[in-house]
Amino acid sequence: MAMTQERMRADLARVLRMPPEEIGDEEDLIDLGLDSMRAMALLTRWAEAGAPLELAAVAEKVTLGAWWALAQRAMSSRRDA
Amino acid sequence: MLDGAMPGAALTEAQEGLWYAQRLDPGNPLFNTGHYLELRGPLDAEAFRAAVDGMVAEADALSFRITDGPAGVTQRADPALRPFLRWVDCTAEADPLEAARAAMARDMGTPLDPARGPLAAEMLFRLSPQHHLWYHRAHHLVLDGFGTELLMRRVAALYAARVTGSDPGPALAPFAAVLAEDADYRASPRRARDADHWRAAMADAPEVTGIGQGVALTARAVHRARAEISPEAAAALRRFTAAHDLAWPDVMTALLGAYVRRLTGEAESSIGITFMNRFGSTAARVPATLMNVLPLRIRFDEARPLREGMEDVAAQLAALRRHGRYRGEQLRRDLGRVGAGRRLHGPIVNIQPYHALPEFPGLTASLHLLGTGPVDDITFDLRGDSAAQALHLEVEANPTLHSAEETQAHVTRAAHFCAAALEAGSLATLPTATPEEARHFVHAVNATAHPVPDTTLVGLIEATLTARPEAEALVFEGRVLSYGELDRRSAALAGALAARGIGRGDIVAVALDRSFELIVALLGTLRAGAAYLPLDATHPAARNARILATARPRLTLAEAALPDGGAFLAPADWPQEGSAPAGPAPEDAAYVIYTSGSTGEPKGAVIEHRAIVNRLEWMRAHYGIGPDDRILQKTPATFDVSVWEFFLPLIAGAPMVIAAPGAHRDPTAIARLIRDQRVTTTHFVPAMLAAFLAHEAAQGLAMRRVFCSGEALTPQLRDRFHATMTAELHNLYGPTEAAVDVSYWDASRGDRSDPMPIGHPVWNTRLYVLDQALRPLPPGVTGDLFIAGVQLARGYLGLPERTAHAFVPDPFHPGQRMYRTGDLARFRADGAILYFGRADGQVKLRGQRIELGEIESSIAGFRGVRQARVIAREDRPGDKRLVAYLVPGEGYDAAALRGHVASRLPDYMLPSAFVTLDALPVNASGKLDQSALPRPDHAGSASRALATETERRVAALFAQALGVARIGAEDDFFALGGHSLLAVELMLGVQREFGRDPGLGALFEYPTVARLAALLDSTALPPPDDGLRPLIVLGRGEPARAPIFAVHPAGGIAWCYGGLARVLAPERTVFGVQSPALDPAVTPMESLEALAAEYADRVLAAAGPGPVNLLGWSVGGLIAQAMAVRLRELGREVGLLAMLDAYPSDAWRASPEPDDAAIYGALLNIAGHDPSLHPELPMQRGPVIDFLRRGGMPLGRLPEAALDGVVRVVEGNNRLVRAHRHRRYDGTILHFRAARDHVGRAISPGMWAPYAARLEVVHVPALHSAMLGEAAMGVILPVLRAQLARGEGSSG
Repeated sequence: MAMTQERMRADLARVLRMPPEEIGDEEDLIDLGLDSMRAMALLTRWAEAGAPLELAAVAEKVTLGAWWALAQRAMSSRRDA
Repeated sequence: MLDGAMPGAALTEAQEGLWYAQRLDPGNPLFNTGHYLELRGPLDAEAFRAAVDGMVAEADALSFRITDGPAGVTQRADPALRPFLRWVDCTAEADPLEAARAAMARDMGTPLDPARGPLAAEMLFRLSPQHHLWYHRAHHLVLDGFGTELLMRRVAALYAARVTGSDPGPALAPFAAVLAEDADYRASPRRARDADHWRAAMADAPEVTGIGQGVALTARAVHRARAEISPEAAAALRRFTAAHDLAWPDVMTALLGAYVRRLTGEAESSIGITFMNRFGSTAARVPATLMNVLPLRIRFDEARPLREGMEDVAAQLAALRRHGRYRGEQLRRDLGRVGAGRRLHGPIVNIQPYHALPEFPGLTASLHLLGTGPVDDITFDLRGDSAAQALHLEVEANPTLHSAEETQAHVTRAAHFCAAALEAGSLATLPTATPEEARHFVHAVNATAHPVPDTTLVGLIEATLTARPEAEALVFEGRVLSYGELDRRSAALAGALAARGIGRGDIVAVALDRSFELIVALLGTLRAGAAYLPLDATHPAARNARILATARPRLTLAEAALPDGGAFLAPADWPQEGSAPAGPAPEDAAYVIYTSGSTGEPKGAVIEHRAIVNRLEWMRAHYGIGPDDRILQKTPATFDVSVWEFFLPLIAGAPMVIAAPGAHRDPTAIARLIRDQRVTTTHFVPAMLAAFLAHEAAQGLAMRRVFCSGEALTPQLRDRFHATMTAELHNLYGPTEAAVDVSYWDASRGDRSDPMPIGHPVWNTRLYVLDQALRPLPPGVTGDLFIAGVQLARGYLGLPERTAHAFVPDPFHPGQRMYRTGDLARFRADGAILYFGRADGQVKLRGQRIELGEIESSIAGFRGVRQARVIAREDRPGDKRLVAYLVPGEGYDAAALRGHVASRLPDYMLPSAFVTLDALPVNASGKLDQSALPRPDHAGSASRALATETERRVAALFAQALGVARIGAEDDFFALGGHSLLAVELMLGVQREFGRDPGLGALFEYPTVARLAALLDSTALPPPDDGLRPLIVLGRGEPARAPIFAVHPAGGIAWCYGGLARVLAPERTVFGVQSPALDPAVTPMESLEALAAEYADRVLAAAGPGPVNLLGWSVGGLIAQAMAVRLRELGREVGLLAMLDAYPSDAWRASPEPDDAAIYGALLNIAGHDPSLHPELPMQRGPVIDFLRRGGMPLGRLPEAALDGVVRVVEGNNRLVRAHRHRRYDGTILHFRAARDHVGRAISPGMWAPYAARLEVVHVPALHSAMLGEAAMGVILPVLRAQLARGEGSSG
């Protein structure tokens, strides 16, 4: 299954035990209860799905919007390579 | 970007802790972190260089220079320090890999100076065109593990971009982001919330107990060991995490934490969790040091389902990640956990769950770690992948606290422990020891089966009695009793007892002084078939009466009736002729000896013949005791050591030499008896042995063997023993409940064990070290000591419940019993057992286990102390302190007592208060009534209130360093328990707080809050005092009295007189005269005359108008004499010229030039260590300095240059002394001679006769090295005081 922003939102929602619609694009995920350990588990899953994100990059700004931008960039560079 | 042109930035919170650690030990290369990446395949050299240099250009921190200036510590980037890639071609080397590794090891081993830099290096070693090593190294101050990985990934991305044209991604973020983030956080409400969280989370956490002995400080090396977590265990981990919706890193953290807690033996342990501290931070992509270590409480109940424990840990870890920005160092201060041994957490668990190397296109890369920074204690690193397919455990340990073998054992055992817990799904039944360890330490070391005749004491003794009836059996006060006589008289008594119906199963009390009759009584009782019960008529009558009432002996053999004693038979009424009945069987009781349990209620241990026969036959065979031995009987019969003294001679056919009643406390009488009677074998309780060795009569005594038991034999006492007399020394251990002794250790000359083991089990005996659930413990872990085997007592007489509690089923040998000794012990790796005192006599303070009895005996052993007890009080919650209560007697000297105790016990065992009482309060049962002990008057109460802002700030630093809540203006840092290590901490705090560095030495002179504050307030702070100036104040006294100038010994430092100064200080100032050549910039003097002249000038500048008093130990005495000559030349009066074991140059001219061993030996001496007691220590610079550092010696904290100065001064002084020609001093030399030393050497105080008008010699029973010790001071100080008083009287 290709990586989409909605899949990222759904994965986050499951980890955070909350409905996907409550996770806004610019919401600070740390405020919603995300921590580095769980984030790293998600990164592994997403890397397997074709969107390899660097921890250092996602750590800088912890919002779904920022992460999706990174994921798009990662996927496009993959296609280019 | 921070650039050379910009003003420097302050350190971040994360850097501060490391900065002070490296300041304390600037020569430590462990602050270098580094690794190399092994790259195989066709490397594009230019692309790689461009990638590394591109990274270097982005990573500001790699070019930092960190300096300590008037404005505090600052860091700035210096473009000249950027570590661009260096290319090293090793292809021409014979072994390119080895050459590269050696170059990396050299670089890693070179300590870096943050003020000079460069702090990082990047090198590429070419081993072959297809094989390269990229080496990266950086000081931990500028880079942590996550930062290192950022750099590696950045290089990989830049390389890939060059080679494949891929997107290199964004540049690394500038260091300014870290500073901005640090500043934001410090000011944010989040920080306050985090602080609240941590304070609440840790409020009731207990003190941290280490798993190694000692204080956790960074050493200069690290032990490493690795193990894999088995694939089966990894599978079990995956199943467990899936079943309970847990993350595997959390589960493994909890299990490693549980392993650590097992080793501490505590209900709760705090471990440290490393936290990368980047998530959600604008500084996430900055290579820098941000890593944080925060505490995690391992407190879950092992008996509950494993899941519950894991969930508690997971919940704590989730909170830790939310509040992980808060610095662990700050939390430690918040909680007041500062000072030596007061830690926030024990071992560290560092889990790297998503470990993966970046890709280098066309190359295969593998990582080799070379150093990850200092390790205070022990760190468990677990690397794995997200799916927990392959898990690698690595343990890094501080060699000061953990040996290489222990480190290896930890990694193996921890891996097994985690695997077994996961497979079993429970911790409740899991032993800490691995199955191999359990097999070894439960069974192999206890394989002691040995055939022993199934007989009785009587059977063995009767064989001797009849074998050589004419031979000498007993010797007492010049009279001899033959075996034939003993046979006749004991048979007659046995017959008389039998005639009264006394026989097997009965008890006969024996209350006789040492005499032939005592032996006849014991043997007669045994031959009648009865058990003997020894009583001492001098013991409290109430106690004897209680024993008699419970034991109900059929008869008492005594000179007179005991109170409430019932029937008795006096020796005068014993028949001289008669025959013994059949006697006892092996399962009959041989004796009943009463011990005082922890409750104070005496309990009678019933020992059967079979048990004591085993013990005696073992001893006879093991030590080869036979008719040519002569054994001293001096132990009172009520103490079970006497049992072998009585019966071993009778079994071995060795004459028994009986000491006169009361003589066992008289060293002269014992020594005379040993010499006159040619005694070969005797016993001492260690305390008595110490007294004996101190006595002149013991000097040069020779015997075959001496046995010690009854309390801990220390290595120091062993060494004194061998320095004083010639004999084998054997350390035995055993409770009354197991036929005298159950273990033995050969402590003869050549034994270097420290601590001293109690050794290995005797025949047919097993010793177990178990945890509270009776599970076997691995070596190195303290637990309860249990005894099993043939020697166990039948039980306590008439006390079935007590018996059932103490004698429990042996879990390893169904159907057999084991005895719970109540002693703490641990196995050494070689199976020898180490004894750690009574389980109920221990308290825990600042993470150290402390045995109160040890402190009590060191206080009680001091002159002027009649009784002493030490308790741990907690008058303020969380502030537990040791307080000594004592009843002073004649000659009590409080200051001298403190000095005495401080010289014998480690810092953490020193009482914080000594309270004198007229009598110790006791309760109805005669035991100490703790509740009636007064609360000590702790610091602050008698002291002036803080007056100025500076005083308040200084007091806060005192409070922090000392862990004392209330500090007054006149409180003295050292009197409040401050010691060298805390002094370093305090002075670093002063530097931090005030930005001024008065130096460690200033604290000696300004030890109170008020004085230190005044010093800091003074506009012209004197130059930093590192305690190395040519003249230092060691103690301040009354200004009206002429001071004493104590001249340095060989090393040029006069700190060794600190103890003397503290005792003399209230009355008289003591200056230390030190060598100016300790400063490398100073040219050493050409001659001792010139040196003495300079010292004389210096002394005159500080001395008042009165007479000048000089004192010198060793070389200091020579210099003092030359100074005295000079001072007289200048027309000054010399009041005192005291020498502590100093001899003129003539004595040294012929001796060989000092080598390294002599110089570093001198360095050890200067630091207060006797080099001969540390034969394991190589006499070389590195090991010796490392040793001094580990011991927390101030000397070990000296800057490198000063240590070089000391070495130079030692060498220089030696040269000066040899070349010196003494002149005559027209006054008196007061010479204190070390009477224990210089045996067989032609040196004596008389050598001074040509160089003084008069010579007075005082013999001090001490070694040269101990002349400034408390014991020697006890002799020296009164003479010194008298002489000073005379001097003052004559001068006016």
